[in-house]
Amino acid sequence: MGSRNWRSLLAAVLTLSLFAVACGGSDDTTEAADTTEAADTTDSEEVDEPAAASEPEPEFVEEAGGDFLLRPENVPTDDQRGGVVVVGYAGAIPHTNGAVSSGYAVNTVGPQVNASLLRYNDDYQPVPYLADTWTIADDGLSVTLELNAEARFHDGEDVTCTDVDFSIKTSQANHPFKPMFAPVTGVDGGDTKSCVVNLSQPHPALLIAFSPGLLPIIPEHIFNDGQEMKTHPRNSTDVIGAGPFKLVEFDGSEVVRFEANDDFFLPGLPYLDELIFDLGLDPATVTLGLETGEFDIAAGDGAHGGQVVVDALEDPNLRVSDKGFEAIGSIPWIQLNLRDEVLSDVRVRQALAYAIDKEAYNDVIAVGLNNTAQCGPIQRNSPYYNPDGKCYDFDLEKAQALMDEAGYSDGFSLTMNQSQANVPTMELIAEMWAKIGVTVEISLDADFPDWIAKTVGEGTEFDATWTTLWNWGDPVIGVNRSYNCDNRVAGVAFSNMSWYCNEEVDSLLNDAGLEFDDAKRAELYYSAADIINEEVPVIYLSNQVWYTRMQKSLQNSPESIWGFMDSWAEMWVDE
Amino acid sequence: MAETDVHGMSDGQELPDPHLDTSRLRQAPAKYQGLRMFMRNKAAVFGAVLLIAILFITFILPIFVTGDRTERVGSIHLAPGAEGSTTFGTDYLGRDVGRIVMQGGSATLKVAGLAALVIVVVGTTIGAVAGYYGGWVDNVLMRITEFFQVLPGLLFAIVIVALYGASTKSIVLAIGLIAWPTIARLVRAEFMRQKNLEYVKAARAIGASDARIIFKTILPNTMPVVIVQSTLVMGGAILFEAGLAFLGLSNPKDLSWGFYIGANRTYFLSNWWGLTFPGLMIFFTVLSLSLIGDGLQDAANPKLRGR
Repeated sequence: MGSRNWRSLLAAVLTLSLFAVACGGSDDTTEAADTTEAADTTDSEEVDEPAAASEPEPEFVEEAGGDFLLRPENVPTDDQRGGVVVVGYAGAIPHTNGAVSSGYAVNTVGPQVNASLLRYNDDYQPVPYLADTWTIADDGLSVTLELNAEARFHDGEDVTCTDVDFSIKTSQANHPFKPMFAPVTGVDGGDTKSCVVNLSQPHPALLIAFSPGLLPIIPEHIFNDGQEMKTHPRNSTDVIGAGPFKLVEFDGSEVVRFEANDDFFLPGLPYLDELIFDLGLDPATVTLGLETGEFDIAAGDGAHGGQVVVDALEDPNLRVSDKGFEAIGSIPWIQLNLRDEVLSDVRVRQALAYAIDKEAYNDVIAVGLNNTAQCGPIQRNSPYYNPDGKCYDFDLEKAQALMDEAGYSDGFSLTMNQSQANVPTMELIAEMWAKIGVTVEISLDADFPDWIAKTVGEGTEFDATWTTLWNWGDPVIGVNRSYNCDNRVAGVAFSNMSWYCNEEVDSLLNDAGLEFDDAKRAELYYSAADIINEEVPVIYLSNQVWYTRMQKSLQNSPESIWGFMDSWAEMWVDE
Repeated sequence: MAETDVHGMSDGQELPDPHLDTSRLRQAPAKYQGLRMFMRNKAAVFGAVLLIAILFITFILPIFVTGDRTERVGSIHLAPGAEGSTTFGTDYLGRDVGRIVMQGGSATLKVAGLAALVIVVVGTTIGAVAGYYGGWVDNVLMRITEFFQVLPGLLFAIVIVALYGASTKSIVLAIGLIAWPTIARLVRAEFMRQKNLEYVKAARAIGASDARIIFKTILPNTMPVVIVQSTLVMGGAILFEAGLAFLGLSNPKDLSWGFYIGANRTYFLSNWWGLTFPGLMIFFTVLSLSLIGDGLQDAANPKLRGR
């Protein structure tokens, strides 16, 4: 243990000196003005770490928690380390490779076996992970990364720039979030640990795209064998990553089991010996398992804010957290198909929006646990959210007036499709719209592929559907896709499913994606949101607060801005 | 050949008894005799009363208890009798569970009734033709029957409903297609037994056509079997419809019992009433049909009583 800390400290000092050299040792102020928030953080690290270096006590990193910890105030004692955490998980997990898949399932287990370049603290600031330092060039066209000198894959191979380059290229080719790394032209550095990520245009969203749930660094020497990445066997068997845990068992419909990676590059982590995901459970089984103590934490059961959360609040052994997942920005909404003749009339869409009682939606569907105020496409936790945007507060008179104006005084009928699990939501919306004469025919989708086929398939099969879209930290990643004209793609889930197109919106969103100045960026997003709000391609219902149910003994539960989709290395059990 | 068939298959009881005391029949007309036998079966009478009550609740009561069942009448998940709640509690949207269960029955019973009709008509026709003609006709029809018998019922129904949508028509078709073979086989056996009895021979001798013999001569004599079986088929159809609806394969607008159970399933740990009341309705309906079936069996075939 001690020697490892020494090595880490040495590495930190070495990295810092390299960083100082890279910065030219200059003390000019222009850099601070030109760089982003992220670079500011790097600057402050620069101030912090020489202090650490001047106190060469091996315990320091661990005692102070080091800047790589998100919860330095809650570190277990030696006696408290170890142990097993069992996760009750409703649903299946296809594989562990988040470089080829988005979504909750893959990116909950993925970050346990794979490490990423950065993690994010509760203030949305990046903290070092595989990358010790990161510097954005003055012109915004490159980002220099210094990788952790100790970072190795589970097979002992060093994590190098080649792996970073390969991971980004894999994501570009396979990941559904195309804008995430679209401006990246390549990564220089080869088999060293000093990498330069080259960009074709400034890309402020890049650093958050280095998060665990968005870009795992996968080993080039394992994956670069010409096989199809999406179906590569090493995505789920004999998985090699650089993460805090090693995968020892993977049966995506039954169980996924991890053991601590004893050679993890961050000293002292992970705290747990073992992490087990019990999969394929019925949501009720997960709840019962929590009550009996069989599971330490519940996941995947979609119980982000429902009756089970209210029940868990009354259980003396359980803790319910409303923290975590803030960056996800989960917005339930009603998706309208603008290709439909009736719905192509903006007055009809506005009428439908006014007829939705969001308070009632929150009280009934979310048992009063969601935050209702979500007005506009950008989630309310984001710095780019405009709290004064048009909100379509429940107003049946306005709704009826708009219906009359559009020539639908007698109403019309439309079909709404979703899976059986969402019947209550559809029934409630049907009841609300019935008040302005709109008859909703509920159509049940057999499963997710069926929903995709009906909603984003060719033609205009759906009229309206209920869905939840995530902002994914930055609007470039999670917002643009729903409104960009060129993202009207048949067959791709969570694309521009409304088939909405406004070139002004496109150009505003595009400009905002290039803007490093936060205030200017926010202005651009405000303007785009105003137009989108006026044209109502979707009706925003609320901003979902995700609740996590767990045993009170569980410490450092996944409550970062990425929630479960983050490394669980700091988790431990206080028996 | 025909002679041995008659003696071999009739087992005595069906042959006209030359010493039958016809005066007894005159005292109690045959049509009431069946009813009397049925009434003697207390369980069957209970079943009939139960069914009448259920039919009253589902079809007559909603005429008087008006109000939109989709209306939200209070807070969500209020227990029966709780403050601000209704007699049967409120559901996940705050609707009245009692009203929904009461009105949802008609959808279930309509689908099950229509499906039972399809099953009986298709099953009886195919069974009758196969049993009467025998030979290659029987062979072909029975292979077809076997084909439908070995199909995994639920899976087949899911495919049908997925292909043609969750409408009453497709659900009736789905249930009908998978359940007719039982009746077909039963009717076939009955036809094979009866086609060589004296009365059929007599009909043939006076020149009756095949169609007349099948539908006017033999079929009425197989009706007791068919009627008994159809009550059981109806119970099965209700369960099947409920199963499909539970899985989401029904018209959500109908809010049928099975569908409602499926929709309430997520909340059953804290809301037992949303699941229990529609469940009880299904249970009592199927139970009543089963008891009635037993009673009819007794009435149609007194010698089997108590077996």
